[in-house]
Amino acid sequence: MSEFLRAGDVYSLDLSIDEAHILINLVEQLLELLGEGDFNHHYDESDPFAQLMSQLKAAPEEITVPEDPVLLRLLPNAYADPEAAADFRRYTEPTLRGKKQRALKEVRAALEIIVDEDRAGVIEDLDSEIWLMTINDLRLALSVRLEINPDSFDIFEALSDDDPQKAIYAVYFWLGWLQTSLLNLLTDG
Amino acid sequence: MSTDIMIESDLDISQLVDKPWVTIVWDDPVNLMSYVTYVFIKLFGFSSEKANALMMQVHNEGRAAVSTGSREEMERDVQRLHEHGLWATLQRDDKN
Repeated sequence: MSEFLRAGDVYSLDLSIDEAHILINLVEQLLELLGEGDFNHHYDESDPFAQLMSQLKAAPEEITVPEDPVLLRLLPNAYADPEAAADFRRYTEPTLRGKKQRALKEVRAALEIIVDEDRAGVIEDLDSEIWLMTINDLRLALSVRLEINPDSFDIFEALSDDDPQKAIYAVYFWLGWLQTSLLNLLTDG
Repeated sequence: MSTDIMIESDLDISQLVDKPWVTIVWDDPVNLMSYVTYVFIKLFGFSSEKANALMMQVHNEGRAAVSTGSREEMERDVQRLHEHGLWATLQRDDKN
């Protein structure tokens, strides 16, 4: 399985073509959900993951608490009080959304090279913080769709192998593994 | 007119002196423990011991106060935590 690599302060990621496809599909879906869909996406509508994040695409005209639970997890309320939360959101959410979009686009650009050449490849000299936060955002997004809870591992493990939910959980689990491999490098001196 | 200004000025001073706002990080079943610890060190400059202890408090008690200060400072901290995908809110510090 692929993992992050480190030489001094230079980080890279060795990906199989299948892994690159899974990642770019998720990144593109999350970009679209965040209102940044101005690109030719790499997944088609028959992709089993295609509908994971695309349930509520239309962005509202004014900035309000997101209806989509994935968006609410990625752009959460800062106050328990609804009025204070709405005020804070009005002047901070575009910045937060923009930072997540830029990180996703940077990751997408690196993945696109591998996917378009249709071969396994190494992403060299990547921005470790951008990748760390983006993988975390992908995990958060999938966790909402999978309704992850502390017992999820056993629940999904018990599903039959042809259950599509099990395949999605496998991707979620893999992203956690990938994130751990990067964290180990970042915290190792 | 001048009364209003004095009231506002009093509020600002009390916010600076009493540090009456607090940033709370809430537990969730998704963020990796090692990631939460990493983010605490990165954003707040905590020692790894302190960051790990706060992470464990979030994990075991469901929440932990990670910073205190003025409302503006706590809003900035919450925003940075949200950038990193942690579930954070700010509120008045009830202990004071």
